[in-house]
Amino acid sequence: MSDIAVAKILDLKGLPCPMPVVKMSQEIGSVQVGEVIEVHTTDPGSLSDFPAWASTAGQEVLTSEQNNGVIKIFVKRLV
Amino acid sequence: MDETRKQELIKTLSSRLNQAMRMYLDNCTRCGTCIEACHAYASEPDIKYSPVGRAQNIRRLYEKYFKGAGKLAPWLSEAIEFDDAVMKKVYDTAYTCTGCRRCVTYCPFGIDTQQIQSLAKQLLIVADMEPKVLSMLADMSIAKGKNIDKTKGSFATAVSNLETEVLERWRSEAGAKAVPLDVQDANVLYIALAGKHSIIPAASIMNAAKEKWSLSYFEAVNFGAFVGNPQKTKEIADRIIQEATRLNVKEVVICECGTAYRVMKYMTGEHPFKVISFIELIARYLQEGRIKLDKAKLQGRKVTYHDPCQLARNGGVYEEPRYILSHLTDDFVEMTPTREDNWCCGGGGGLVAMGEKDFRMKSAKVKVDQFTATGAQVLSTACENCHTQLSDLSEHYKTGVKVEYLSDLVSKALVQE
Ligand code: SF4
Ligand code: SF4
Repeated sequence: MSDIAVAKILDLKGLPCPMPVVKMSQEIGSVQVGEVIEVHTTDPGSLSDFPAWASTAGQEVLTSEQNNGVIKIFVKRLV
Repeated sequence: MDETRKQELIKTLSSRLNQAMRMYLDNCTRCGTCIEACHAYASEPDIKYSPVGRAQNIRRLYEKYFKGAGKLAPWLSEAIEFDDAVMKKVYDTAYTCTGCRRCVTYCPFGIDTQQIQSLAKQLLIVADMEPKVLSMLADMSIAKGKNIDKTKGSFATAVSNLETEVLERWRSEAGAKAVPLDVQDANVLYIALAGKHSIIPAASIMNAAKEKWSLSYFEAVNFGAFVGNPQKTKEIADRIIQEATRLNVKEVVICECGTAYRVMKYMTGEHPFKVISFIELIARYLQEGRIKLDKAKLQGRKVTYHDPCQLARNGGVYEEPRYILSHLTDDFVEMTPTREDNWCCGGGGGLVAMGEKDFRMKSAKVKVDQFTATGAQVLSTACENCHTQLSDLSEHYKTGVKVEYLSDLVSKALVQE
């Protein structure tokens, strides 16, 4: 378990393409700069999609973890 | 709009004026044959959403800058100039066109409205007015290509975690990887989408067929094509081409994503490998007796099939899904109209990613009437975008029809001997 303080949890499990990244890009503005969103997904592709999105959007993926088929990705709002 | 932007737009318009495009723009007789062919007009009659109506602004801009009458005596023609108001109208008609090309099959002059809309989208990109969500997704795909080595490890862990769910559908031999990655000289490089629902059924089917296959690190969908940016379309496709070339695979097999199939098959040039859709691969396995299906799984439910526009009308894959369905059920019913005449689901061209739920639901009413008229309980299809739109329609109009991926139905009906 990560001990990162999170401001919001976003459940994106089972969504069709490309909704996980679309929802993430919409939700990042709902937390303050410096705060972290914890994303829950079941998409293997999101492990490369989210860092790629973050690099183009000026945000940061801090880390990710995988447990019982659920992928958790921690995204920090930088801008 | 400043003069520099105007000149850029004129230059872009000029760059797209090859013989075919000039023919499309010059030869429309306004006969109106195409009008009712568009699902958007057929569902909610508004001339601006008819094929000829959608092309009107581009035609008038072309007349203004490239035709004698528009240049010399604009008051005699319908010519208009590039300005913000005109570009707003172009946006409304371009990004509500799903690119289904149903209208093309109706035009007696072979005018390709989808090509005119692709030009319109390119102009909107130059005007910095394209839907930013589509550009964001295209940029993400390009960045993923550049940084893939950093995330290969976690992706590999995620796909190995899918093993139990793959084995529930097909028990592979002990020691065999349920979802193989990086297989040199594989027969098949399978290009999935991000979600596990596009990996698990395919993996179980290919394992059942004892295929030598490899899962791609990249997603099939090409948002460069959705947004209408040729350069980004190419960069996104190149990631897959390079991976396929590195692994020396015989075939690149595109998952149930219509646009991905059309882009890879027809818009990326010649390759040392073949490009086919996953539906064609399943049909081949059945034909060669490499997999067998149990019809009992769908017993008691009538099944119909929606031809995804980019796979069927724009990709020629009509027989294979029907052949697969003949192995899945004895209770199959065609929609009316069907095949090349099938109505678009109304969610293509990036509309699903853009949201646009209200427009999507209203403009595809004709699709709902079409599939509910079959009396089928199961609506199968072979495209993620169509699946999302059809599911939204079914829920919105409370039809009770269950939308299913063809690959999912196949993988659940596999007979393990
Ligand atoms: S391509 Fe499809 S959505 Fe676009 S105008 Fe033609 S029929 Fe309508
Ligand atoms: S059918 Fe062809 S010629 Fe007739 S209005 Fe439509 S685009 Fe123009």
